[in-house]
Amino acid sequence: MADVTLTVDGKTITAPAGTLLLEACRKVGIEIPAFCYYPGLSLQAACRMCLVRIEKMPKLQTACTTQVTEGMIVATDTDEIHQARKAMLELVLANHPLDCPVCDAGGECELQDMTFKYGAGGSQFVEIKNHREEQQWSPVVFFDRPRCILCYRCVRVCNEGMDVAALGIQQRNSGSVIAPNDQTQLDCEQCGMCIDICPVGALTSDTYRYKTRPWEMTHVGTICTHCGDGCKTTLGVRRSDDGMQIVRGDNRDKSGLNGEFLCVKGRYAFDFANNEERLTQPLVRQPNGEFAPVTWEDAIKIVAQKFRVARDDRGGASIGVIGSTRNTNEEAYLLQKVARSAFGTNNIDHHRTTDYVALTRALAGKKHRMASIADAGSAPAIFVLGNDPTEQHPLLAWNLRTNVRHNSARIYLANHRDIKLQRQAKSSIQIPADGYAAFARFLGGEENSVFGEDAKALRDALRNEPSLLIVFGSELRGSAIDALAEFGLSLPDTKFACLGDYVNSRGAADMGLYPDLLPGYVPIEQEGGLRAEYGGRMSQQAGLDVAQMFEAAARNELAVLYVVGDDPAERLGVDADALRNTFVVVQDMFMTATAKLADVVLPTSNLYEKSGTVTNTFGDLQLVKKAADRAGVRSDLELIVRIADTMGEDVHALVPFGKGVRADMGQSRGVQSGEADRHGIWLAAHNLEPKLSPFDPNAVLDEIQRLVPGYNFDRMELLAGTSQHVDADGSGVMEISRFANRPDGAMPSADTLFTSGTLGHYSEKLNEVETFQAKKSMVAAD
Amino acid sequence: MPRLVSHPDEVKVVSRRFGRGATNIDRYIELDGYKAVRQAIEKGPEWIIAEMKASNLRGRGGAGFPTGMKWSFVPKQSEKPKYVLVNGDESEPGTCKDHLIFLHDPHAVIEGCIVAGLAVGAKTGFIYLRGEYRYLLTIMEKAIADAYAKGFLGKGIFGSNFDFEIISQTGAGAYEVGEESALMESLEGKRGIPRIRPPFPAVVGLYGGPTVINNAETIASVSHILNMGGEAYAKIGSNRNGGTRLFCISGHAERPGVYELPMGYNLKKMIYEVAGGVRGGRQLKAVVPGGSSTPVLLPSEIDIGMDFDQVGKAGSMLGSGGVVVLDETVCMVEFALRTIQFYQHESCGWCIPCREGTDWLKKTLTRFHAGGGEAKDIDHIQYLAENMLGRTFCPLGDAAAMPTIAFVKKFRQEFEDHLNGKPCPYAKQQELTLA
Amino acid sequence: MSIVRDLAAVAKGMSVTFGEIFQPTEVENYPDGPGPFRGAKFEERYRGRHVLQRDENGLEKCVACFLCAAACPSNCIHIEAAENTAEQRISSAERYAKVYNIDYNRCIFCGYCVEACPTDAITHGHGFELSSLNTTSLVMRKEDLLAPMPDSPAKLESSTQ
Repeated sequence: MADVTLTVDGKTITAPAGTLLLEACRKVGIEIPAFCYYPGLSLQAACRMCLVRIEKMPKLQTACTTQVTEGMIVATDTDEIHQARKAMLELVLANHPLDCPVCDAGGECELQDMTFKYGAGGSQFVEIKNHREEQQWSPVVFFDRPRCILCYRCVRVCNEGMDVAALGIQQRNSGSVIAPNDQTQLDCEQCGMCIDICPVGALTSDTYRYKTRPWEMTHVGTICTHCGDGCKTTLGVRRSDDGMQIVRGDNRDKSGLNGEFLCVKGRYAFDFANNEERLTQPLVRQPNGEFAPVTWEDAIKIVAQKFRVARDDRGGASIGVIGSTRNTNEEAYLLQKVARSAFGTNNIDHHRTTDYVALTRALAGKKHRMASIADAGSAPAIFVLGNDPTEQHPLLAWNLRTNVRHNSARIYLANHRDIKLQRQAKSSIQIPADGYAAFARFLGGEENSVFGEDAKALRDALRNEPSLLIVFGSELRGSAIDALAEFGLSLPDTKFACLGDYVNSRGAADMGLYPDLLPGYVPIEQEGGLRAEYGGRMSQQAGLDVAQMFEAAARNELAVLYVVGDDPAERLGVDADALRNTFVVVQDMFMTATAKLADVVLPTSNLYEKSGTVTNTFGDLQLVKKAADRAGVRSDLELIVRIADTMGEDVHALVPFGKGVRADMGQSRGVQSGEADRHGIWLAAHNLEPKLSPFDPNAVLDEIQRLVPGYNFDRMELLAGTSQHVDADGSGVMEISRFANRPDGAMPSADTLFTSGTLGHYSEKLNEVETFQAKKSMVAAD
Repeated sequence: MPRLVSHPDEVKVVSRRFGRGATNIDRYIELDGYKAVRQAIEKGPEWIIAEMKASNLRGRGGAGFPTGMKWSFVPKQSEKPKYVLVNGDESEPGTCKDHLIFLHDPHAVIEGCIVAGLAVGAKTGFIYLRGEYRYLLTIMEKAIADAYAKGFLGKGIFGSNFDFEIISQTGAGAYEVGEESALMESLEGKRGIPRIRPPFPAVVGLYGGPTVINNAETIASVSHILNMGGEAYAKIGSNRNGGTRLFCISGHAERPGVYELPMGYNLKKMIYEVAGGVRGGRQLKAVVPGGSSTPVLLPSEIDIGMDFDQVGKAGSMLGSGGVVVLDETVCMVEFALRTIQFYQHESCGWCIPCREGTDWLKKTLTRFHAGGGEAKDIDHIQYLAENMLGRTFCPLGDAAAMPTIAFVKKFRQEFEDHLNGKPCPYAKQQELTLA
Repeated sequence: MSIVRDLAAVAKGMSVTFGEIFQPTEVENYPDGPGPFRGAKFEERYRGRHVLQRDENGLEKCVACFLCAAACPSNCIHIEAAENTAEQRISSAERYAKVYNIDYNRCIFCGYCVEACPTDAITHGHGFELSSLNTTSLVMRKEDLLAPMPDSPAKLESSTQ
């Protein structure tokens, strides 16, 4: 729209016609206070804090609802306006309990800030304030009613943003009160957005309430460890008896790719890190079959020795390595590098939840066809095939809803279930659960009697979209993805995204945790490239996948199984007997089903306790910052390096630190300082430069950036906190037809909003919420 | 059925069928009913709007916006259906005129509604009755059913090719819903809170369609205007204030009731002649000229003509025509408290100044009237009201603030009389006179 | 001549000495005096060891708002908060201090904490005997700092402390 020029406080400003006056002023640094105005939500004009004087208007006007017009003359800094703001605050505070010393929001409360800034220090009111008891609405949401200033942000974000409408308003006049629409409890997705958006301390979270104060915590913005969307969550950490403890998770800085959004897992499900069952000592199985704690030195020595013996005596192929979908890219990369170059094995795999390989193959050589998750919030048309984003990819669902709300995007759905996103969809069809591959071919033009007129109409609509984003779930794999890609590429402008389940599922795949693929989906047989880097021990023979490793173990062909942050025994139902002749080393936080079968268990830190990078399922690379710390555990990166070192490998070759990359001044290790000393001692003992550490993930990231196709992103931008989209466009992948019929080996996790694989078992809050939701739906079914 | 009153000065236009059995459709037709609408079908929308403009009819709900102009704002072309809405949510304390219209002359509302529909090109009309008027719904519904039966509503009304439907609905008992956009919210089945304007209802109204919303009295006047001609109607009233108005005189008047008088009729005459003066020959203390939300007038200020412009000049508003006569026995602090109690109860709670302002005015005035007041409270009451005035989301805040400011300014002495510790010095006087 | 002058000077000095011998004693009889302070006397505003006050119902006044810790220039206050429950009520607000430690190795007795306290929970008492051969004993816990229950027998003693 055309720009208009207006005058605010004697200052001439220019803004596009139709801009709200409040936004136009904020853009040029003229602050107009407001409680109820919230960018992206519907207008309210209820708090009356943004009143300004506009010439030729008889009354004061709300800047949050007034659109700028040419020649408008506005005053925001006059005695009249100051008085109006002060009077408004006096009225808000009239019934407000002023219990700031105990209120959770004290110190980060918009009402406090405004009272400081705009006055109203005293009150003339002498009558008793209206009081109501506090309520608990769900296992995670509490509502302290007197503190509420009725800005209706929570109601709007629930209604408009989440499309849940769990909140409403009851009563009228000064008795107005926000209340759940379902009597006394929240019938919702428990996302907690209402808590984040509350300008005061009326809505509080069960995990944080009355525990500490905002300024007592350190706030670290890092990436949520749960689903594959990779939201940024701000963790509030506080020192505790055994390290740094996470007290709160929220979306405080809103600078991540998730913008406003955070779901139940990112907000509350950090408590697995504080679980009492957490392992903090290395355990070694004794001759009597029981585990006994040993020192780290002993544990690493035992592991390294077994590994070396197995490699030297029975060959690299007798070693199996299973990586994690929740470790950083650096750890995944280093693990496969150690496996291939130090152990000399290609028996390396991870828990695959979808088929990234097929998509990469289908798009090989095509630039910029992989979508970023931001595209879901801006593309004019989106086709979602399979998956239930509301349950499995909450941020994707949020972006789609917001896109419909703000940009009237067209959403097309094809699914075998009824999914909630249908409410936003332009058209939605149901297809058989086993009909996804057939449907992909149907889109490409292959007629099929299973799909009726509605499917044809959908296909025609998609064909007419000038620009389309295709998002598909793990229902589509292998050749079905080829068919879908072929259809998509026949349209004028199409991007694709493939939905995997965990925070670094995509990263693990990109980093080459495959028996037959190197980082960047490069076939193992391909000459040059990494072979030269990794040295002579590397085998050209494709290795075993997870299932084959257990079969090999049962046949007595696997001497060592090294499991880093995964629980294959639980997933595959592995028999203890199958591993009786295999030396099993498990690195994990908990005594998982696999750990129970292990000979050595090494307690590790989780994603919230380490630094590095992760890649979400859309290929958005983000920085992970160390927030918490737990005495007694080590990061997987450190353990991999130390095992390799103890085996006699050259640490400098594994981790290219000290090659002028950068000195680690401790930033990458986050808030805790004791660790630097610990490293310093170890490094000094090994005649290494204490400031340049092989445990510095940035050193590994350098190598990733240099060697992994698609990972040539802007490092400065990444360090500044901006997500970087990596386009694993398969440009390094040639002769790829060989694995056209390659088994994808994917096992989708089928997690819901309230489960999260193994981690979910150890999050008490998540389990509590799940029980609560289950009880609610049982009541509803009755 | 309430007893009707009359006075020779009355000019019966809207009320001419009152008490003459016009609820019966045949009787209504006998009394020139459904003549205007036939004429309107014949002559078309331009003619209707021209007549309405010529009539100088100004909205009877209280704001006094010229009706003809309002109708002409509705866009001719619209993607969404247009609607006519009759605001029968008559809730202003002191006002009881629409009540009589629904009771005695429901067909006039239906006829006016059809004419408005023809003028703006709407095919659906809604008649929204106040929740507390539920008992009038049976009358209204019967009238609508009768009109349908005669072919006056439905497809091809009066044998023409126009369609028009009317739906009647009652509110749930909120004063706030008398505000036009809140009424639309309520009619859509939502919480009755006003909408942000612009856009105005004439452009985006009910269900997002262009909507004409008029007071029931305004709509009831329409057929009479078309029958007698716009200019003839305009001549009855004063300058720029066409026609007559139903004045509801209540309070301490000798003969309270609803009188139809020409616009611009002298207020003093209205009280002392039409309504027979103050009850019991007592002294007049104050007059509320247009419903409880209008600033009170002193006896010295009432020698004015009752039209929108002259009352406005006197510092008050004509409002909804509810004239409340207060005699010397009234405690003005108590009256202020009673007024605020009403607005506090009816505030929708949407915006801060009205929600909190009315609540604290009520709290403060309650204490003040009970004898717990301090000298600074008087200024504080005024300060509170001034901070509400013009700063609320909708006019309800103003409706509470304006009279409060007037009470404090004009009757400050009475407030000060409450300060010396005794609870209400006027109570005793009241008891004596009422005994 | 000088002898006379010297003797005069000695006599003058001794006259002060002998004059004072018969005056009543004005020094404080610390540590042999009566009372909890063993004879030490203080100005009302003396800033000694802190006392955490209780309200008239015997509940702790401290609501664990952390403002004292935030105001403390020497960072010597450590608090851990917890929520009151219906069964166990410690303070009158929702929250109470589960742990309240003051490290007297670091405290500089500036009184900022007292000024910052919104509930008048923390005050300076007159306790001053804070020397120790063991620094760990100078980290005082809430139990050490808390005023006794109003009806407890130790009341008298604490009221002066």
